[in-house]
Amino acid sequence: MPDASAPGLLRRINLAYARFLSALLAVSVLIIVVPVSLQIFSRYTPLVPHYIWTEELARFLLVWMVMIGAMLCLKEGSHFIVDVFPVLSPKPAAVMDLVSGTFVMIFAATFFWYGIEFTEFAWFRISELAEMPLWLIHIAWPILGFTWMIFNGERMLNAVATLRGRA
Amino acid sequence: MGGNVLSSGDAASILFGVFFTLLVLRVPISVALGLASLPILLIEPRLSPSILMQETFNAFNSFILLAVPFFLLTANLMNVGGITDRLMTLSRTMVGHWPGALAQINVVLSIFFAGISGSSTADAASQSKIFIEAQRREGYDDSFSVAITAVSAVLAVIIPPSILMIVWGGVLTTSIGALFLAGILPGLMIGLVQMGTVHLYAKLRRYPTYPRATWGAFGVALLVSIPALMTPFIIIGGKIFGWFTATESACIAVLYAGVLSLIVYREMNLKGLYDALGETGRLAAVTLFCVGAASCFGWLLAFYRIPEAILTGVSAWGMGWVATGFFIAGVFLVVGCFLDAIPAIIIVGAILQPLALGAGLDPVHFAMIGIVSLAFGLVTPPYGLCLMIACHVAGIRVGDALKDTMLMLLPMLAVLALVILWPGMVLFIPRLISPEFLG
Repeated sequence: MPDASAPGLLRRINLAYARFLSALLAVSVLIIVVPVSLQIFSRYTPLVPHYIWTEELARFLLVWMVMIGAMLCLKEGSHFIVDVFPVLSPKPAAVMDLVSGTFVMIFAATFFWYGIEFTEFAWFRISELAEMPLWLIHIAWPILGFTWMIFNGERMLNAVATLRGRA
Repeated sequence: MGGNVLSSGDAASILFGVFFTLLVLRVPISVALGLASLPILLIEPRLSPSILMQETFNAFNSFILLAVPFFLLTANLMNVGGITDRLMTLSRTMVGHWPGALAQINVVLSIFFAGISGSSTADAASQSKIFIEAQRREGYDDSFSVAITAVSAVLAVIIPPSILMIVWGGVLTTSIGALFLAGILPGLMIGLVQMGTVHLYAKLRRYPTYPRATWGAFGVALLVSIPALMTPFIIIGGKIFGWFTATESACIAVLYAGVLSLIVYREMNLKGLYDALGETGRLAAVTLFCVGAASCFGWLLAFYRIPEAILTGVSAWGMGWVATGFFIAGVFLVVGCFLDAIPAIIIVGAILQPLALGAGLDPVHFAMIGIVSLAFGLVTPPYGLCLMIACHVAGIRVGDALKDTMLMLLPMLAVLALVILWPGMVLFIPRLISPEFLG
């Protein structure tokens, strides 16, 4: 059934965005291996130059990898939860989704709002070793906040749809 | 303490109260930890929510935690690259003729796997896919298959290398080399009691057996597996001889698994690589995102000196080292039911360390009690990640596999008691190989 409402558009945007994040995540995992390998091999062979920034770069890539993965896993619903309830029927489950979704929204908004402040704070600072601008890393925080708001928004709208009886 | 609006008691009740309430409401654990910190950051004039940003950043910006994605990637490369298959064939030629053959192979493969990867969740995820369906087809009960897959997966963090040992060593400044060596004997003993448990089950329930493999078949399987079986020696040896750091050893494991998959066994294609990378990124990210939120939570506990407040009561009991050991194991077993192991080390390990050292426990002994207890927490509900993964793959509820899991945990708890009572077992190999690592 074609759905021209806002959730339909949001769903398509989120789907494309999640595919993009998924590819980015795979790339980020692969390239983390590079600086750490450089660091090890440069110690034992003169063929590999001994860069001072490998350790820092690896850490920054890890930060981005964690943040990208955390964004994506909200869409896929794979963040760990403690399930103490028995399996619920669709409507009570939708109510629970709305309740927990509200808290996720508060968390996302906090990351968005204070993440902007966190990025501004780093605006003129550079990292110690690689001398990279620090806002390049800090900006992952407001982006995560924003991404979670749209992904979580879709989940909550779906729950509302279930409650209205047109799941 | 002076200058704070909230007393330690108020802060503790807000932190734990909000956290547990949100967990019950099915809020993701990382979000619950972050939101539990939020009211305090808003109420206390000297703090602000930007501390949540800064503390999560500090947590992720850590060279130690790189070991998490590296060991997950190693495991995923082993699966797509044919290493796991070869180790499986080897396990089959070793224990295939025993009662409950497939379940015995399940345990033995976990032992091999544990020597290469340091991640139990990776072990649970991959072995659930391999064994649960296969065991179902051969007539094993689902609850038994799920339980044995989950409990054997915990070996991955007890037998070196281990993510938990790297995190423990980094957070609580204990020698990671010594921890690697200390984990070998307890890990093998837990593996043995699991094989004993499988034997009993198989005798009682008449589970099937394979024909005995010939010595020739065993020899061939062993020969083919030798490159893979070299991995633990490269990783642990390299760490102990100081060729590379603990985190770098995890990177070496990735490179070695990659070389075996691409060049030696030649079974990896691009699709397999992409899936391995994606799966690694997802599992590493959700794990570490929890660690970030837990770091802020732990930072606030330290800010209000809540650990000290809790400990003053316990120290007054005047326990000896044996009682302290059992107390520590008990705390970690309970905490492990509710928290992932890495946040538990960060929050609870730091609280218990002064108590352990005060009672005269060796730091390596203390670490092994903590790590083995937390490893058991991976299969205890409500938050037992390995059990949850195995149940998810099998398509059954956690409650349905609970009885068999608890039965299998009993002999493992006996090994934990032995670890506590007999520090010599833990410290024997470290003393033998590298006494300079011990305090």
